[in-house]
Amino acid sequence: MQPLPRGRHGLSREFIAEHQRERLLAAIARSLDANGYECTTVAAIAAAAGVSKSDFYRHFESKDACFFAAYDEAVERLRAEMVNACEGRPGWAEGVCAGLAAALSGLAANPSQANLLLVEGLRAGPGVYGRFQAAVESFVPRLRDGAPQGAPAGGPSEATDEAVVGGIASLLARRVLAGETRHLDRFFPEVAEFALAPYLGVAEARRIISAR
Amino acid sequence: MSPRGKGATKEQARKAPATSMRPALPREFIALHKQRRIMDALAELTAEQGYEATKISDIVKRAGVARKTLYDNFEGKEEVFLAAFDAARDEVLRRVEEGSAGADEEWQDRIEGGLAAFLGFVAEQPTLARMCMIEALSATPATTKRYEDTLETFVELTKRTLPRDEGLPDTIAETLVGGVAWIVYQQIRRGETERVEDLLPELTEFMVAPYLGARLPE
Repeated sequence: MQPLPRGRHGLSREFIAEHQRERLLAAIARSLDANGYECTTVAAIAAAAGVSKSDFYRHFESKDACFFAAYDEAVERLRAEMVNACEGRPGWAEGVCAGLAAALSGLAANPSQANLLLVEGLRAGPGVYGRFQAAVESFVPRLRDGAPQGAPAGGPSEATDEAVVGGIASLLARRVLAGETRHLDRFFPEVAEFALAPYLGVAEARRIISAR
Repeated sequence: MSPRGKGATKEQARKAPATSMRPALPREFIALHKQRRIMDALAELTAEQGYEATKISDIVKRAGVARKTLYDNFEGKEEVFLAAFDAARDEVLRRVEEGSAGADEEWQDRIEGGLAAFLGFVAEQPTLARMCMIEALSATPATTKRYEDTLETFVELTKRTLPRDEGLPDTIAETLVGGVAWIVYQQIRRGETERVEDLLPELTEFMVAPYLGARLPE
């Protein structure tokens, strides 16, 4: 995001403030990705966003406050992308596939957001991993609701729903750490199979995935 | 040696005429025992108040050793954490390998045996489990790296135990181990480690099901 023009520009105060805030949120994500949490200082975030330190403090009271805001927005953005992709799909399985595909390509297209969501979410301490956990868990009902009942072996248990979502998050985090963020969408077939197979059986899961 | 350290030593010497028994214990035994106490103290304090808030002074107080003893044995707090982590990891790995050994058993039973050993350790050592599976993630970059390397070790161990299956993706073991770690992580965070062993049937099914499914005639 580019800094706004300086001097007289006729832009409203609210517009400028919102724009600065967005730039700060993008800047903290980039800085975390490049330098890690410890080295990401308020000064570095402000400089990367092209605002002054005092502007930073007009928006956030601390680095952590900025971090939490960036995290929450990243979760919401990903969720919105997934929900939009699911909408209008003919069935549960197609919806899950569309949501997963959207999530993977969204993360692949934006590595600093992927790092923020999947890596920093677990690393940065209590304030954030509560958010990470809530974000991951919020996807569990999306998977569970509408899933066919009485699937193979009487249907998966509640722990399976959670383990499927947690397992996918863990796999993606490891791929991000391995520097494969740009190629996350390549993992679509296996991630989708992993998500669908407990409910539909492997054969049916593969049929649906290859029909896409 | 700090004045406080000296004082503590003298006081202990005064209080304990049993020092006459000490020469019977080899020096290395005492040193190991003190290291163990320091590592245990750090694990407890970390579980109670987090890594960040745990100070060297808290650790030596809890362990009942002089500050100098800690620094004679460890470079600092991070090294105590890593030593405690490594000891716990080695113990878990030993138990899981033992639990999943049984060469004449079916692979499903070996997976279940390994999982049972792992869950058993978490139930028995909630403090260490918390330190290794929660605090390690956020304490320092070195502890995070340890956690990730350990996850990798478990992925490799799982790959060796699960059947080779051409039909399943290469990442399946990673996803399964990640899923189990996630569930156990949640259980620890909720403070419900005493019930963690109840998850054995569900987690076994979770790990085994993809392989059973893949083997069904399509």
